[in-house]
Amino acid sequence: MAAKKGAFQRKSGVRSEIPTASMADIAFLLLIFFMVATTFRKEQPRPVVIPEAEATQRTDEKRKNILHVYVETDGSIYINDRLVPSFQVADVVRPEYVKTDRRLVVSLKADRDAAYEYVNAVTEELRRANAVRVLFSTDLERRLARARR
Amino acid sequence: MALLKRKSGVVSEIPTASMADIAFLLLIFFLVTTTFEEEKGLPIVLPEAQAEEVEVPQKNIVHFLIRADGAVVVRRGESITEQVVPYDQIEQIMRFEIANNPNIIAALKTDPKAPYKHMVNVLDELQLAGADRISLQVWEK
Repeated sequence: MAAKKGAFQRKSGVRSEIPTASMADIAFLLLIFFMVATTFRKEQPRPVVIPEAEATQRTDEKRKNILHVYVETDGSIYINDRLVPSFQVADVVRPEYVKTDRRLVVSLKADRDAAYEYVNAVTEELRRANAVRVLFSTDLERRLARARR
Repeated sequence: MALLKRKSGVVSEIPTASMADIAFLLLIFFLVTTTFEEEKGLPIVLPEAQAEEVEVPQKNIVHFLIRADGAVVVRRGESITEQVVPYDQIEQIMRFEIANNPNIIAALKTDPKAPYKHMVNVLDELQLAGADRISLQVWEK
């Protein structure tokens, strides 16, 4: 086209602005999504250092069917923010087991330095409560780290 | 009335230009504070309390005994020979046992005073070897 220099600028009436009017809608939509998707954890986590394992698997179980049982180094057991004596674990777990329609998975978060007798006492109690699906909570371990063990 | 309309030059609109900024600020706050807690570990199904005791022939059992200091001893069936094995060989031993006898049961006996991590380490090796018949016990001497 044999247009004169400068003619380009004046020719087009199209505005070169990014439409920002819907930006707020987009942001609020994302915001509401995150607000709805967020679930707050039920209990305060206990300071236990869980062991590492290479065969660590992720569970598909729904969060509401999972019960955390913390076993600390000195053998104290915490369920739902409460210190539970080892012989009463079954009494605490049984109502949870019924509430979840027998689908309860117990995530056993025991400290890596806790003596095995404490862990065994908990698993025996879980058997008594019929909650036989247990997840020994571990962190994923890399093969290189394992070689150093 | 017409006079009144023209008098004021104040724009009677809510300023929406900063709305996006406010929303994104809140969004970023939620993004940062959200932690995805995933449940991961070594799954195992305990035997039920009412389950009757089943007598398993000794030839179908391989014992892994964990001492209080973390040393692992392997004992096959009724044989008396005990063998201390390093952790990195447990997986191979278990694979070998499964290949020989698919019905093999790994009996993991842990000393009551042994730290939990040793038991998890052995359980880890057994699960890596594909063992699905694992029995957890306390080592009563």
